[in-house]
Amino acid sequence: VFAYLEMLELQAHEAAVKQEEKLLQEEKLARLKARVEELRLQRDELQAKVDLQEKRQLEKEGATSNPAQLNPQAVLQWKIKSLQAMLQVFYLTGIGGKLTRQGVCFCISTAYEGTYLDSYYLDLLTKSEVRIYRHSVPTFIPLKQIAKQYLQTDIRRFLSVLSDHLNAYVGRRYQADQLQEHFSDQIKGTLQRNSLCNLLVFNYNMSSKSKTFPFNVRLLYGDPCCSLPTEVIVSCKSDAPSSLTETATAHSDLFRRMPLHKAFRSFSSAGET
Amino acid sequence: MDSNVCQVYEDEIHSLEEEIKLLAEKYEDSQQESTFFSDEEILMSIKSFQRELRGESEGYESPSDLKAHLETLETDLSFLMKFTGIQFTSHSKKTLEKTRNRTVRKHRLSGNCHSLSFQLEFQLLEMQSKANVSAVITDLSIIMEPGGDSDLSKFVSSAEERGSLLTFFRSLSSYAEWYEHRRCTFLHFK
Repeated sequence: VFAYLEMLELQAHEAAVKQEEKLLQEEKLARLKARVEELRLQRDELQAKVDLQEKRQLEKEGATSNPAQLNPQAVLQWKIKSLQAMLQVFYLTGIGGKLTRQGVCFCISTAYEGTYLDSYYLDLLTKSEVRIYRHSVPTFIPLKQIAKQYLQTDIRRFLSVLSDHLNAYVGRRYQADQLQEHFSDQIKGTLQRNSLCNLLVFNYNMSSKSKTFPFNVRLLYGDPCCSLPTEVIVSCKSDAPSSLTETATAHSDLFRRMPLHKAFRSFSSAGET
Repeated sequence: MDSNVCQVYEDEIHSLEEEIKLLAEKYEDSQQESTFFSDEEILMSIKSFQRELRGESEGYESPSDLKAHLETLETDLSFLMKFTGIQFTSHSKKTLEKTRNRTVRKHRLSGNCHSLSFQLEFQLLEMQSKANVSAVITDLSIIMEPGGDSDLSKFVSSAEERGSLLTFFRSLSSYAEWYEHRRCTFLHFK
């Protein structure tokens, strides 16, 4: 009899626990549903505000100051945002920065044509002589030499020369990256490059009369401030037909004159020779 | 079954929160871009702000903080303009498109560098990927004054074609210095 009573007690207990769980679950669901509705309302209100804004702007083109809104705090906050936007524009010019307690922190931006790439920071101390406190310039860029030559006498020239090195490096790297990204099917094996990206070696396929022949390319960028190579060697195997050696010479010329990925684009679209 | 419903609600909450954040930013951007206050209005605001009781401001900064922030920004900007030789005289932007990962803004910028002045218009596309933010310039248009020089026009059209805003600015100051030097030399001989 006791065992039976115990079992009943257990069953009752389990039923109570299940009931409580179900209640908690229902409460949670109700909470979530309420939150969703609250957020939907908020979203719809905001959307209406934005739509009204757009409608007002279409009606009167051009910026006007709103005399009703001459709350001084809002005006100052507007001016602050506007100055911050202007400082952001300086990054687009290549040299941005801000004054610090001990000097200046410059930011050199790099780009390849219209695409902005990495930015590099230089924290300078200017109290007595000019010193580089911290920087994010990679080690393979000759920062010390450039600083030795220009930093004390002409900071602008220093930044300009450094910017030349950095932009050229980033430009070479970008070309190699673009080549790997867009022409990977033509490249045989891996593209070998060093950290400064001024030595590139790779093989690519050229076809002639439905047979493919590998070309080997060695590009040396002798000028660290230039993103075009100074030395180009394009070679094909000795068993390749003579027409292909002409192509090799033509390609060699292309690589000397134009960015790597553009050269590939031009002879890819020209069709097979 | 219940946990599925929970998940659906939670997903919707998450997406609504993101939508709200985006809309709020859009609203703020639009307010900022369609407003303009002159320097006198700014000065008047600073004065009236200083008259207000201290600590009686809503928002994120106290009156003295706002003024200090404003002054720091103005000092930084004036330093950069003096250092680089590039003086911006006006700047306006308009947000054309804004989604979670992509913002497109149209910028109008004018200024001068020594005796050369420029007027630029361009679109800036900013994309957020997992690793970083990328920025690309499109639809670049450059007007230079004086623009007669043939070398300059060739350089300008090549920059416009490729969207090379950075190259334009990097070359601008050296070209402007050379131009100024040449102009002074000619004047000297007149």
